[in-house]
Amino acid sequence: MENKSVINIKNLVKRFPVGGDYFTALQQIDLELTEGEFIGLVGPSGSGKTTLLNIIGGLDSATEGNVSVLGHSMDNTSHNERAKIRRKHMGFIFQSYNLLPVYTVFENVELPLILNNIDPVEREKKVTQAIEWVGLNEKRNSRPADMSGGECQRTAIARAIVHEPSLLLADEPTANLDAENSHNIMNILSKLNSEISTSFVFATHDEKIMGYLRRIIHLDDGKIINDEKISKPKSG
Amino acid sequence: MLFKIAIKNLFGAKLRTALNVFVTSISFFLVIFVSGMYDGMREHAKNVTIETEVAGGTYWHPEYDSMDPRTFEDSHSTIPTKIKKLINQKQAFAVLVSQASIYPNGRIMPVILKGVTPDQNIVDMPTNVLTEHSNITIPVLIGNGMAKNANLEVGDSFTIRWLDADRTYDADEGTIVHIMETENFKLDLGHIWIPLSKAQSMLAMENQATYVTYAKELPMIKDSGDWIHHDINYMIRGMEALIKADEPGAQIMYSILLALAAMGIFNAQVLSIFRRGREIGTLMALGMTRSRVVGLFTLEGGLNAFLAGIIALVLFGPVLYFFSTNGIPLPMDYTEMGMLVAKRLMPVYSVGLIVSTTILISIIVLAVSYMPSRKITKMRPTDALRGKAVT
Repeated sequence: MENKSVINIKNLVKRFPVGGDYFTALQQIDLELTEGEFIGLVGPSGSGKTTLLNIIGGLDSATEGNVSVLGHSMDNTSHNERAKIRRKHMGFIFQSYNLLPVYTVFENVELPLILNNIDPVEREKKVTQAIEWVGLNEKRNSRPADMSGGECQRTAIARAIVHEPSLLLADEPTANLDAENSHNIMNILSKLNSEISTSFVFATHDEKIMGYLRRIIHLDDGKIINDEKISKPKSG
Repeated sequence: MLFKIAIKNLFGAKLRTALNVFVTSISFFLVIFVSGMYDGMREHAKNVTIETEVAGGTYWHPEYDSMDPRTFEDSHSTIPTKIKKLINQKQAFAVLVSQASIYPNGRIMPVILKGVTPDQNIVDMPTNVLTEHSNITIPVLIGNGMAKNANLEVGDSFTIRWLDADRTYDADEGTIVHIMETENFKLDLGHIWIPLSKAQSMLAMENQATYVTYAKELPMIKDSGDWIHHDINYMIRGMEALIKADEPGAQIMYSILLALAAMGIFNAQVLSIFRRGREIGTLMALGMTRSRVVGLFTLEGGLNAFLAGIIALVLFGPVLYFFSTNGIPLPMDYTEMGMLVAKRLMPVYSVGLIVSTTILISIIVLAVSYMPSRKITKMRPTDALRGKAVT
């Protein structure tokens, strides 16, 4: 059976205005991602991986080309429609966690469910399950300021997966973590990928996590220079 | 949904919320406190005029014009019977007015000489001090402003010169028997008060008077002869006109106070919202629409104003109540400057003032919550997520 297409990008170009001129961050990008894939956008700083991730997530828009995510053309959608797609079908993990500092672990993880109007009983169940997945049961009432970087990133993962999104986008998820925590995080994500049908896209230049990826797209200077399938990745 | 998140944000950010709420509640307090003082000043001036001068109203001799001293010479006659009856029933008292000159310490000073029924208790004036002075030729009561201007003390004597009904100048010695503390400069500056009977005999105007003041809440007499009735509204019309003329000034002052309060609230709110740029970016990344983000932050502002109202009531309500019942002592005597200002100012905190201030400050808080959050949501979500400075 053929896997469902999750991301379909054709001739993507992204330019940013710089002074009176334009800086081309991405050029002629063609990319297809199917359901359940675990891929990494890899490249040095300034290669365009975060920009590509942001365009896929609808946080930014393409200058030229077509971007279709989960069957929605991102070129012709309004801000509100893109927000709805993110709310319903996407999860985000950021390098600096982006947890809300005044919320506890439970409340941070609960937030996407509140935004999706899930009823409180169902919310409690899903949040508890997500916190269990990332192994933060004992920290559910802690606030980000009282936790380590690894614990904060695990909270961010729980928040990203709690509403069981079809696509999870992670921007440098291990950049602020030490080696042990990086492997823990990747183990969790790899395990989740094998248990749920969510597709994962990482933007990273962290060598430690490359081994977990099943497909690596190498970017340089805004162009895809290599699309590599990994036959035997590490598994969670 | 927004309400639940707003409540969580508000109570989760303990210090931030406490500071914002405190700044807003102080603004509530200051605007109400200062405006209340101003209103109190104006209200007090009116009340003092009624209590010390006007009471329930007056009957004037037809020639009398209190603002025109040239009319004093001719404005006296026998008191009409019905009005006289009120005086006999102690429900009114008569005053005989004339121009005169006094010579304290060798200087000449033009004054308004007023003969008053000493045992009246219709207005708040210590006229009873004019009785029981059989050894003094003319017992004189003056105000403390007049005493300072003329450099007079209790027991001091001076020559009084007047023109009587027969157009003859006469003079005699007056002695200060009391210096009254009054906030009404119209009873004080340029005035000397003597017993009515003494004034009538000095001016050769036996049983005559210039005007009669009657007690509060007495009905108007239908047959007051040719004397003209002036009710309390007429008598305080000057004061009312002054207050009305002062309304633009009061509004300007209120606006300045509100603007100052708005600046304080604006600083606190804007800083706290701009510091939350990354949080706004995260909410947008999680799928909150721009309008909902703006709604959330505006709602937080509204809840902030609501909490500030409660805090202002709990913390500053007793302070306002204390001042409204005990007054605020003023450091100087404005009476000498010809201003009707109380020595102890009683602020007036009207329902209108409290409600309008609450509404206006709430609108300010909502506006200063709405504007910066709207500005941040106009940014690209990627910039907001990076916590990029808002320009």
